[in-house]
Amino acid sequence: MAYLPCGVYHERYRQEHAWWQTRFVRAKMGLLAALLLVFPLTTNPYLVSVANIVGYTILSALGVQLLIGVCGQITLGHAAFIAVGGYATAIGMLQYGLPYPVSLLVGAVLAGLWSVLFGLPSARVKGFYLIMTTMAAQFVTVDFIITQYVSRIGGRGHYFSLPPGTVTIGPWVIDSDLKAYYLMIALVVGSIAALANLLRTRVGRAWVAIRDNDIAAQTMGVNIVRYKLLAFFVAGVLGGIAGAFWISSLYFVSPEHFTLGWSLWLVGVVLIGGIGSLQGVVFGSLFVTLTLEALGFAVSGLRDLFPTLPDKFLYVKEGAFGLAIVFFLLYEPRGLAYRWQQMKNYFNLWPFAY
Amino acid sequence: MRAGGEGTPPPVVITPDLTLPKLLRRTARHYGDRKVAMREKDYGIWRQITWREYSEHVRHIALGFVALGLGRGDKVALVGHNRPEGLWAEMATLCVGGVAVWLYQDCLIDEVQYIVEHSDARLLVGEGQEEVDKALAVADRCPKLERILWDDPKGMRGYTDPRLLSLAEVEHLGRELDAREPGRFETLVDAGRGQDTALLFYTSGTTARPKGALLSHTNMLKMGQNLMAVDPCTARDDFVSFLPFAWIGEQMMSISCGLQAGFTINFPEAPETVQQNIREIGPQVLFSPPRIYEQMVRSVQAKILDAPPLKRRAYRWGLDVGHRVADCQFGRRSVPPALRLARWLADWLVLRKLRDHLGLARVQHAYTGGAALGPDHLRFFHAIGVNLKQIYGQTEIAGISVVHRDGDIKFDTVGRPIPETELRIAADGEILSRSPCVFQGYYKMPAETAWTLKDGWLHSGDIGFFDEDGHLVVFDRRSDVMTLGDGTRFSPQYIETRLKFSPYLKDGWIVGHGRPFVSAVVCIDAVVVGRWAEDQHLAYTSYVELSQKPEVYALVAGAIRQVNRSLPAPARIRKLVNLHKEFDADDEELTRTRKLRRAFLEERYQEILAAIYSDSTEVHMDTTVTYEDGRVARTRTALRIMPIEDS
Repeated sequence: MAYLPCGVYHERYRQEHAWWQTRFVRAKMGLLAALLLVFPLTTNPYLVSVANIVGYTILSALGVQLLIGVCGQITLGHAAFIAVGGYATAIGMLQYGLPYPVSLLVGAVLAGLWSVLFGLPSARVKGFYLIMTTMAAQFVTVDFIITQYVSRIGGRGHYFSLPPGTVTIGPWVIDSDLKAYYLMIALVVGSIAALANLLRTRVGRAWVAIRDNDIAAQTMGVNIVRYKLLAFFVAGVLGGIAGAFWISSLYFVSPEHFTLGWSLWLVGVVLIGGIGSLQGVVFGSLFVTLTLEALGFAVSGLRDLFPTLPDKFLYVKEGAFGLAIVFFLLYEPRGLAYRWQQMKNYFNLWPFAY
Repeated sequence: MRAGGEGTPPPVVITPDLTLPKLLRRTARHYGDRKVAMREKDYGIWRQITWREYSEHVRHIALGFVALGLGRGDKVALVGHNRPEGLWAEMATLCVGGVAVWLYQDCLIDEVQYIVEHSDARLLVGEGQEEVDKALAVADRCPKLERILWDDPKGMRGYTDPRLLSLAEVEHLGRELDAREPGRFETLVDAGRGQDTALLFYTSGTTARPKGALLSHTNMLKMGQNLMAVDPCTARDDFVSFLPFAWIGEQMMSISCGLQAGFTINFPEAPETVQQNIREIGPQVLFSPPRIYEQMVRSVQAKILDAPPLKRRAYRWGLDVGHRVADCQFGRRSVPPALRLARWLADWLVLRKLRDHLGLARVQHAYTGGAALGPDHLRFFHAIGVNLKQIYGQTEIAGISVVHRDGDIKFDTVGRPIPETELRIAADGEILSRSPCVFQGYYKMPAETAWTLKDGWLHSGDIGFFDEDGHLVVFDRRSDVMTLGDGTRFSPQYIETRLKFSPYLKDGWIVGHGRPFVSAVVCIDAVVVGRWAEDQHLAYTSYVELSQKPEVYALVAGAIRQVNRSLPAPARIRKLVNLHKEFDADDEELTRTRKLRRAFLEERYQEILAAIYSDSTEVHMDTTVTYEDGRVARTRTALRIMPIEDS
């Protein structure tokens, strides 16, 4: 239960359900909103592009968090659904001339349905076996269907070109990182708000019940197949939104953007951020992306000392990420979100310890 | 979030005609559905009851009582936790012209029987199964008791006794009567006069059988008016009702002040959640006996023992600054600018959070009364910025005659008389008071009434004096004042309240009257000492074993030496016994308001006293424990007697 200061009480259930109940929290969130809106105007384009990567990682990892952290369905094929969203949006715009928002919706729903298709085995298998079936989604979707067939739609060779000016929302042409940033903020805030609210409904509770003990959940009357597939659908929709956003900041789409590596990466983000927590998705995405950028800077700074380092940076990056996950599992197994809660508790309980 | 008051009603003029029901009618008409009269926490939220709903319930229950045959002057016994239905039933009784008699919720069956029988109650309104069981157990021995009412249906399915009736059915009877005779209720209320008896309080009685004090409507109204003349409450205030209605202090706030100020009364979810519920509401007004404040201090002290060093240092510093500022205010010195700055910082760093944790973040006026609060406790609350004041009074004067004024607080006094109250000290030092709130007498006890009430002056039985600022200083009960070995008189209560500032001690009993030296029999606080023992790797299985550990004795001795340092040499504690159990009202060691019943203690623990004042180092106790259902258990324990030297 959230910590509330003295003198805050509820006379109706609606008040109790409110997200932000005190002036302090409302002021804090207002400040955060202002910061997010003003941030790109006061900084250089490089940081804006980094922010866009963070946003993309958040959007991508939300679905993974839902499947792994909330519903307990381990997935290693989430990049496939992001790819479906991205390609469907691109095809919608390029082949059918649909406006971007419409293609985004179509892409999201298609990605959701595609996810349900690969979620079907979850009705029968769990754990390691589910990992295999979701990896199959990755290979079948990206390496086979998209690479072999979808990429060639319209006589294209390998990738879809998205010239500037393709992505427009009404009169608003998204042709720069700055504009993509605002689109990202809208999508991230919208997705998190939608998911956060979904998690505290009957549906969300059913998912948590399935995660904690699927047999008990079934005994309690939760239709676990239906709710698992629903989880796959929502996760797929979120992945589709991520893919649709990603193409808005690119000039082309190609299957290389949606590798198995990205699927694994997202699981790592969720682990570092904290399993089961939406805040954790944000923290994990920030941590992973910023650490990598910082490593990049460190490498270019050390170029004079170790001339071969930049060539090997790719491997240093992968190594650093692996090491980070190992350290987190050892020393912060509940992720950054838990640490954040602990910090808040420290001050909430001040000057006591409990 | 708070229901806003739609303008305050015009000020109350207390005429001889005004009664509590008339005031309720007036306030309810003024606010109607626009203001919340009470809230009860139920299923996680504070459900609202508006003034109109409040008065409707009272109206129907009152008419239901009439339908059951209740008439003017008839007594209705009430028992149960604090809840809206309890207050409705009380107000309904007053509307009919009856007299409400509240019983403590944890009364033993014998006490219930005594009070129901002595008060001639015709109806008993209980809360649920527990109260109904008690009532049924005594019903056959109380021939005047006709009906037993209840409002909580939990566990009531199997009860078929014809005397039982639910409050909902009573309301139904009332609605039927209302439909037949629409003007009946108004006639009933109009018939009331200020001089009618409203409440019958059975005083806890530290010595003898409970005495029933009769208080009139005017008594209650005047008391509330005079208290609020000192500290006005507003209609926007919140008040949490969690102390027994059988205690005058709770009636004072819920009825006298509540109806006049029109503030919102909040009822906690359950007795176990009181502390948490108080914190949620954050009341502006709080009136409790000292034990509540002692408990708060003890919880802070115990929790800070477990805090990490940085937090502990911040706390020590903040509290130290707070204490220095409080001492300046007590001494009526101006606070130096540097200290003022430090106080501001300390407030932000520590004190504000402390008030928040204790649920005192919004308190304007906090009162303590009913027993003595230690000076250390009072200093503590002023140090953390809580405006805590002493109240002095007896049930016989409707609860209050003396109170501290804002900015004029001294920790060894109880303040100055409230308006319309005269106070004087008799030749033998007894405190006498006279006011419109002085009671009508004890029910069916003319001898005691004549003894207590002479020429309109209420004889309190307390010894006290006025200090140079006109503040009343209450020394102790006349019967309790000790004469020490060298002939000086001393107050055991004073030493006891000082002892209780140690987080490790829950209760203390000081003996020494007519003895060569002073000794202390103390009850350790099981939770705090238990945690301390855990930190010290002391193994123990029970309270008895823990209390007799040499290490615990050393710990308690340390606390006693601390207190000894501030006492004059003859009053210092020389011997210590850790009692094997906590004092308990069910064992008749305490009154229901947790005051020591010294005469009883001296009789019960005479073996201990004998051992202390002989040269033994140990005493074997053979004791009986009474449970609330009447079962009795016997235990045998050896208690150590420890001499205390000056450090």
